[in-house]
Amino acid sequence: MEDYKFLFKVVLVGNAGVGKTCLVRRFTQGLFPPGQGATIGVDFMIKTVEVDGEKVKLQIWDTAGQERFRSITQSYYRSAHALILVYDISCQPTFDCLPDWLREIEEYASNKVLRILVGNKMDREDREIPMHVGEDFAQRHDMYFLETSAKEAENVEKLFMEIAAELMEQARSKELPRYDTNSPTINGRSTSVGDGSCCSKIS
Amino acid sequence: MAIFKCCFETQLSDFFEPMVQKCTDPGCCCWCCSALRPRYKRLVDNIFPVNPQDGLIKNNMEKLTFYALSSPEKLDRIGEYLYQKAARDIYRRRNGLVVIAMEAMDQLLVACHAQTLNLFVESFLKMVQKLLESTEPQLQILATQSFVRFANIEEDTPSYHRRYDFFVSKFSAMCHSNHTDRDWCNKIRLAGIRGLQGVVRKTVSDDLVENIWEPVHMDKIMPSLLYNMQNARYPISQPDSPAPHGEEDRQDPPTLAESCMRELVGRASFGHIKSVLRPVLRHLDLHKLWVPNEFAIHTFQIIMFSIQSQYSYTVVETLMAHLDDNSTSSPEIRTSIADVLSKIIAIAAGESVGPSVLEIINSLLNHLRVSVSKLAKAEDSARHKLVSREGSTHEKLYQEALINALGEFANHLPDYQKIEIMMFIMSKVPHSEQDGDVLLQSMLLKSLLKVGTKYQTIQLNQAFPVIFLERLLRMSVGPNPDMRLLVNKILHTLLDRHRNLDKLLKPTVDVDSLKLAITKSSRLDAIFIRKHGGDIFLTLYESLELSNNTVETIEAAYTTTALICIELVCEESVCDLLRLIMTIQDLALTSSKLSLHQKYQLHAIVSSLLALVPHCVPLASLQTYADKVIATRIARAPYLLPPLLRHYDSTVVPTGDVLLDQAQITACLSEAGLDATQMARPQPGSLQHRHSWVDSGMGANAVDINEVDSVSSSPGVVKKFPEEELTFESLKRILSPENVESRKEAEEETRLRLSETYRNAPFGELVRHTQSKGDVLNERLSQLLKKLATKQSLRYLSERQATERERDREEDQRSEEDSEEERDRFGRHSPRGHSRSQSTDRDMQLPPAPQPLYESLFPELFVY
Repeated sequence: MEDYKFLFKVVLVGNAGVGKTCLVRRFTQGLFPPGQGATIGVDFMIKTVEVDGEKVKLQIWDTAGQERFRSITQSYYRSAHALILVYDISCQPTFDCLPDWLREIEEYASNKVLRILVGNKMDREDREIPMHVGEDFAQRHDMYFLETSAKEAENVEKLFMEIAAELMEQARSKELPRYDTNSPTINGRSTSVGDGSCCSKIS
Repeated sequence: MAIFKCCFETQLSDFFEPMVQKCTDPGCCCWCCSALRPRYKRLVDNIFPVNPQDGLIKNNMEKLTFYALSSPEKLDRIGEYLYQKAARDIYRRRNGLVVIAMEAMDQLLVACHAQTLNLFVESFLKMVQKLLESTEPQLQILATQSFVRFANIEEDTPSYHRRYDFFVSKFSAMCHSNHTDRDWCNKIRLAGIRGLQGVVRKTVSDDLVENIWEPVHMDKIMPSLLYNMQNARYPISQPDSPAPHGEEDRQDPPTLAESCMRELVGRASFGHIKSVLRPVLRHLDLHKLWVPNEFAIHTFQIIMFSIQSQYSYTVVETLMAHLDDNSTSSPEIRTSIADVLSKIIAIAAGESVGPSVLEIINSLLNHLRVSVSKLAKAEDSARHKLVSREGSTHEKLYQEALINALGEFANHLPDYQKIEIMMFIMSKVPHSEQDGDVLLQSMLLKSLLKVGTKYQTIQLNQAFPVIFLERLLRMSVGPNPDMRLLVNKILHTLLDRHRNLDKLLKPTVDVDSLKLAITKSSRLDAIFIRKHGGDIFLTLYESLELSNNTVETIEAAYTTTALICIELVCEESVCDLLRLIMTIQDLALTSSKLSLHQKYQLHAIVSSLLALVPHCVPLASLQTYADKVIATRIARAPYLLPPLLRHYDSTVVPTGDVLLDQAQITACLSEAGLDATQMARPQPGSLQHRHSWVDSGMGANAVDINEVDSVSSSPGVVKKFPEEELTFESLKRILSPENVESRKEAEEETRLRLSETYRNAPFGELVRHTQSKGDVLNERLSQLLKKLATKQSLRYLSERQATERERDREEDQRSEEDSEEERDRFGRHSPRGHSRSQSTDRDMQLPPAPQPLYESLFPELFVY
């Protein structure tokens, strides 16, 4: 029951108020907390999903969008397997900031990190960024793209499941980046490839 | 132990044991009936109560502990089994049982011996992680407690593969908890900080384990701690927040975070400091905590006090570098950073040695320079475009902050380093008189003044190294009155050993009421004044001569003179001082450049100084005379007395007995048994070998003072340093008005200069002069040089200033030593006989000059 085959770290980034925390909450707890306050620093959630009959544990680090926490949030990029870059489709500035975010990711994250662009709040009527614009942007920067709605629970599950599947694929084909040896995850299960059940001894 | 052993035997004989040995895969045991379960599993199962509220079953727990102790090889399996149980319970949300499992693990951890723990710890940490992963704050806190307990255990064998990455990440996240319930929020944050503390403790001692100093960890730990600390300073205002749970005797997050940071910083070694400070600076930047900077100061003070003291200057350096990085940010931020710097720099000063000190000073000065040029530019554009001046006022504040930092730093250095610093700053002062330079000059002088105020003068010759004094004096006759004022202030603070400065700021004739602290000047002082008095008095005079003097500058000059009088003047040198006073009066009477107000001001300081002199040197008759003159002035010419006014109504040119009379003063001096002949003569006999102020001063101002006669007998021009423009100026002045006599005088001068050169110039110059005379002579001279080459002569060649000093010292000795010995010495003053006709009185005071060695060896060379 508790044995999982893979452990992946997913980090969510993006401007303040684009709905990162709501996405995580929707996915991990299945609820949409109205009036969610701004995240301080970093929040942490865990969720185990099943892909192709294999259990995959997702460690989700939900970072604060506010600029003042940038120093601590950036330190979480490095060990991430997947980075979800979120913007608000009803808010042009959050989209305009994407290049800045990409620069940050470039600087602090592993270069093999899986990058996903997410346009959140697709339920909103007052859309400012057409879907194809986001798609274009994602394509240009070699990212996956998805529009979601944490409120309507649209595409949220799909987002994380695809990430899990993709990462697993990578892991299977041994492409999963060897992260800096100084900072693998606890218990040496650094890239979680192969050392499956929790009962096996650590070599 | 015997009992353990015994039990151990019995357990080994346990019926099920062999079977249990084989059954290691927990998966296969799930279907086992409880009777067939391995013993350790049964023991573990037994500690759980039926009802979670009942808590751990103590008896059974003891049994389990006992078992684990006696068969330590089972410990890891016990741990694994407990972990699985707990994981299942977490999944099923049976938190009560989870708590019990954790408790059992804690007890086992504490009870068991260190060497057997290694594998058990793995399960233990997995358990802790599992708990931390849950969303229940209660479980998270429980996990942290267990982790801290674990962190306090010293393991014999470090496990190199164990990683704390997750813990650092998670604990940092907990430090930022935003739980809606304030109480829980606090608890979670506390737990987070404790957890970080635990990780640090666990890893910091052993380099081979996880390197906690890696930026990837530090970037999480430091901001987390700082975030909690800053919240104490700026509490989130919650109107209905109850008083903090003081009764629980718990620390609040800020306090704990602070102590954690102290611990962390205290353990940082040199290589780690950067990785600790970088996130701190970034955090302060991002959270905009520089302005206001209370928190930044607080933080840096903590760092400075807890860091290993030998590294403390690294912090200063880093902060300085940060100031560099912020060179484009707003002046407020820079001011704040500089302010923080000034607050912590003192702590570092005690530990800084050698080049690091000058490096810091240099860096500060560089910032000052950059700021000055920035300010100049800003003012420029402000002038053109009427931009608001706010920026430049902030820039000025920034400069003040920098100077403050400099002063603070200097304050905590030993005195000998302060002198070094003062000389260093002096060497950075620009000499040209351009606009920007003047600003920089004044800034640097201000910093110099700041350092100077921190310096406690004991020996004046130590406080004023020759080069330093020279440059100071040169600046004190600069064209800018503000600059002169600053230089005078520097002189004041360095001269004032008896804390008389405040009393002497304003000239007064009522010296008694000042209650000055006066001690008899020492022999070293006397030497100092003998050596440099001439220069100092001359520059003072020259500075008073300038027409753009304000009341302040004249007062400052008065203060300087008064301080010199108190600190330095003895019977020997009182003549020089009195002569200076007389000359100032002459200046006030005859100068064509000074305004009437300035002249009255000069008269006022003359009277104050005259009143002061008898207090420093016991001259009763002079006292009487001074009193008389002052009384006369009070009666007839109060405008000739202090206080100094900006504007005088009177236009009378003072004459008669309101003025000081040289003859009277001379009489007073001879009455006291002092050599008053010097007073009357513009050319001082006993001080002939030195360029006293009269030598050059009188020469330079001969026309002004109407003492044309003295010009011919004043050989001062050559005695001045060749690089000083003054020589040239004075020469010009002497020559220009006296057209008729100019040629004759010029000839006289040339002749004089020639003889003076041979009499006083260093040997190197002699060589240079004679070189032009022909090769034969040159050859001879080089032969001669070889013969006489000593260390001394080498020094003459390289350093004229050294020669001056040397000569003085030798002169001092000369009076005491046998003239026989003198003959052996390199006779620089020897051809004195040739100019003897110029000053007959000298012969009476000095023994006849000895014939120098080289003169007797090569007599043909010395036919002039």
